[in-house]
Amino acid sequence: MFAQTLSAVLETLINQFLRYNLHGTRALKPLSGKTLTVKLAELPFPLSFTISHEKVHVTSRDEYNDCCLITSISTLIELNKAQQLTDLIKNDQLDIQGDLKVAQRFAEIAQTLDIDWQSELAKRIGDIPTYKLGQLGRQLLNKLNFAATQIQADAGEWLVHEQRLMVTAAELTYFSQEVAQVEQQVSAISQRLDNLINQQNKKS
Amino acid sequence: MLIIIKKCGKLAVILVNSETMMSAHDQNHQSNNDSNDENTTHFGFQTVEKNEKESKVASVFHSVAQQYDIMNDLMSFGIHRLWKRFTIDASGVRPGNKVLDLAGGTGDLTAKFSQLVGREGKVILADINSSMLNVGRDKLRDRGLVQNIEYVQANAQYLPFEDNTFDVITIAFGLRNVTDKDMALRSMYRVLKPGGRLLVLEFSKPEHELVNKAYDFYSFNILPKMGELVAKDGDSYQYLAESIRMHPDQETLKTMMDDAGFEQTSFKNLTGGVVALHKGYKF
Repeated sequence: MFAQTLSAVLETLINQFLRYNLHGTRALKPLSGKTLTVKLAELPFPLSFTISHEKVHVTSRDEYNDCCLITSISTLIELNKAQQLTDLIKNDQLDIQGDLKVAQRFAEIAQTLDIDWQSELAKRIGDIPTYKLGQLGRQLLNKLNFAATQIQADAGEWLVHEQRLMVTAAELTYFSQEVAQVEQQVSAISQRLDNLINQQNKKS
Repeated sequence: MLIIIKKCGKLAVILVNSETMMSAHDQNHQSNNDSNDENTTHFGFQTVEKNEKESKVASVFHSVAQQYDIMNDLMSFGIHRLWKRFTIDASGVRPGNKVLDLAGGTGDLTAKFSQLVGREGKVILADINSSMLNVGRDKLRDRGLVQNIEYVQANAQYLPFEDNTFDVITIAFGLRNVTDKDMALRSMYRVLKPGGRLLVLEFSKPEHELVNKAYDFYSFNILPKMGELVAKDGDSYQYLAESIRMHPDQETLKTMMDDAGFEQTSFKNLTGGVVALHKGYKF
């Protein structure tokens, strides 16, 4: 029942987000009664999002929808760049069945979500703790970003230069060029050999 | 014949045609014939007269109605919500559908169906027990769900609806309390539209012996105590445990559905068979 657990968690989260949205749930009204189904390559079941009574209902039904997106999580993240839509469809990374407008309206709602997290948190724990928590969060995020960049750089250094387990990008390009040259030479020799064999056959 | 329906708190009246009532009468007649040989049935582990079971089950549910939801959450650790979600997912319900939530109790399935069938659709919450129906109606009205829900107090064996009325019928944790299950299944078959489906969510037999033993211990030792503590009624929860054991296992219920006329019947065990969802179509 992983599908039902995930549906329940998503439904709760989405509706909580919508509750805190500064623009309210007005944007849901035009989509009332509409269902968007998303089939992700990473999940063995579909996720259907139905809007009704200014709420989003998440199920794993597959038998009815107004629009169906067949894609993967990484492609779904790229979908917020509208200009990439055509490329993604051309590259078979995205398949859209049904009314595209429904998918676009759902995407618009997701993009226009505007939640004042600090204000919501302040209502519960007070202004000063929220300020301190926000400050701590930002410091932590900066440190994490710095650590991630540092670890990436150090790991690269260690693998390429110290242990020589990997090659640099320039070395890889040089190696690829050399392989291409060898390939051309082999091809030329092969063609020459074919010609010589043909000539020999004609003489005999 | 006139049937009284409570719609959004008001009383409404529907007319059921004579053909429908003939069918119900036929079913009744057939059932009576069946029961001539055996006039007794189970009420938990007790054997009681068939006409006695209904009132005994009624008193159980009158007693537990107010605490029903909280007890469900406690007893199942909240998993009943996932079982019900699984039922919704299997229903194939779509906007405009007409759904019968039989033995719908406090309306968990009705609430979800109401939102999925939309304004053009309709959900009938039916229960034989007025206390359960009242709790369900109050809960749904408090949640603002009033537009497409009707409330009917009805016995599953004699459904007061015309033939071929519903696209989907669900009965969740209700069939084991019905006196004549075969008759109830035939009645559901009658009111289901061709192409419609019946979903029976019910406690069943765990697949593994170890789970079975743990489940037995839980049901007979902990559950009645929980009932005593929370709902102040240990006996009703003792009945619950006993009625689960007396309910037909997965294969038997599937055969009963086949016998009632359903086609492409199948079942899916949930939580190791503690609960099973049976599905059948009418073509």
